[in-house]
Amino acid sequence: MLEIRSARKTFYKGQPDEKVALDDLSLTLQTGEFGVVIGSNGAGKSTMLNAVSGAMPLDRGQILINGDDVTNTPVHKRAMRIARVFQDPMLGTAASMTVAENMLLAELRSKSRTFARGLNAKRLSDYKERLSILGLGLENRLDTRVELLSGGQRQSLSLIMAVGGSPDLLLLDEHTAALDPRTADLVMGATVRAVDALKLTTLMVTHNMQHAVDYGHRVIMLDAGKVKLEIGGEEKAGVTVAKLIDHFSVKSDAMLLGA
Amino acid sequence: MMEFLSSTFTSYVALVPVTLAQSLILAFVVMGIMIPFRTLHFPDLTSEGAYPLGGCVAGVLIAAGVNPALAIVAALLCGFAAGCCTALIHLRFRIHTLLAGILMMTMLYSINLRIMGKSNLSIFGTGSVFDWAPFVTPGFPAAKIIIAGIIGAAVFVALNWFFKTEKGTAMRAVGANPAMAEAQGISVWVSTIGGVGLASAFSATSGALMVQSQGFADVNMGLGILINGLAALMIGEAIVGKHSVFRQLLAPFVGAIIYYQLVSLCLAAGMPPPDLKLATGLFVLAMLALPSLKRGRGGAPAREKFRE
Repeated sequence: MLEIRSARKTFYKGQPDEKVALDDLSLTLQTGEFGVVIGSNGAGKSTMLNAVSGAMPLDRGQILINGDDVTNTPVHKRAMRIARVFQDPMLGTAASMTVAENMLLAELRSKSRTFARGLNAKRLSDYKERLSILGLGLENRLDTRVELLSGGQRQSLSLIMAVGGSPDLLLLDEHTAALDPRTADLVMGATVRAVDALKLTTLMVTHNMQHAVDYGHRVIMLDAGKVKLEIGGEEKAGVTVAKLIDHFSVKSDAMLLGA
Repeated sequence: MMEFLSSTFTSYVALVPVTLAQSLILAFVVMGIMIPFRTLHFPDLTSEGAYPLGGCVAGVLIAAGVNPALAIVAALLCGFAAGCCTALIHLRFRIHTLLAGILMMTMLYSINLRIMGKSNLSIFGTGSVFDWAPFVTPGFPAAKIIIAGIIGAAVFVALNWFFKTEKGTAMRAVGANPAMAEAQGISVWVSTIGGVGLASAFSATSGALMVQSQGFADVNMGLGILINGLAALMIGEAIVGKHSVFRQLLAPFVGAIIYYQLVSLCLAAGMPPPDLKLATGLFVLAMLALPSLKRGRGGAPAREKFRE
């Protein structure tokens, strides 16, 4: 379970271009729930994700994972519980290292690393099996450096790395945005299968309204650092892309009127 | 012409064993440069201060009658501390790695002088680790080649093992992609401090061995060592490559051996020693410029984001 309690973050505090990125934002995600976060640019989606992962300290407020306060826990310690797939395929993998080495790093995310040999035969066969699920042939390229893979392959690898070891929380940061439509569908399909199979508590940020409609248990719309709208349960099943976009346009109308 | 060639060749060949001994000792500095530059992506200049630091510490201890092997261990520990300081300056104060290295090597110059109390110290005639070489007469290049070779081989085997362990893989990940490493639960601080410390420990070890080999310590013994080491590293990488742990670790040794043979050849051919730094600098520049020259006009392109 993820709880964000009145999170506040202000950029350029005290300067003319001061910006409140998170405005006492509160959000709860139940264990096993798949939340989809939408919102226009600058709504605070990335700031929220960075605050949850620990990459950005909050000015105020709390982050709790399964009831434990992790607000002051550094990124690498939070990683015991949180897995993250970045938007940029470059960010989620170590380019100069091999596919197998990247898988090893991910496997050790929640474990303490020892002086034992990293890539042993048992691990290699396990990685082969897990990568074969993707159907991209990565299982035969364990010794290939990741920089030689395509963006889609790298992102698929990031996903497999993230869902391995069943993290307490999976963060997906527009993880299909940089991919071509076909590859994006492939990665998205693999994401949904993994999340369903492992019952992962997942928070996905997306700009793709169709994805927001099709996937997840709840749509969370952010606006100006606050949760503007939540659609869950029965209502979520009936939502359409047009309805979601309506909520965006209401906002821009309001802006027009306000201006 | 023939006479020039034959005299060059004769004097070069006469120098081969001495040069080989020297290059095996200096291979540790090259290793101390390679680890931050390549494995950690932390361009580091500490070696220019850590190498004489190791020399000074070992020199003073040996002059005081300490066991030469123990003197090397002490030098190694001092070098490790120096490297840790550089990494800490960078991480804590967000100072550029190069500037952190310059700060450290400048401060080390004073520290080295303080350690020795004077600018040079002779330990000629006292014992050294090279006296323990089996089968050969102490004091000859063969003894140095054997001892430095044994230590070098041990370091190579140990590092080749370490970088494939779980901890070693994590350290390499910090160099490859720090943000990703952190997201995978790896402490960037611990890996960087440990790695740069380890590298400087090698540089200091090299200094300690060199002092025992040449019989004196000098505060200026580190001058230009960094650029020599870089040149050696580039030669090594050009020959054995750098795309696997094994190759990357082999490069410093191969590079050091070939680089110092080349230097010896130049000197034997009559190149004035003062020109050596210029020649080395131009060589390093050429090696660095090569990829850009190959691409043709326009210098480096805007960085590619990723392939698709």
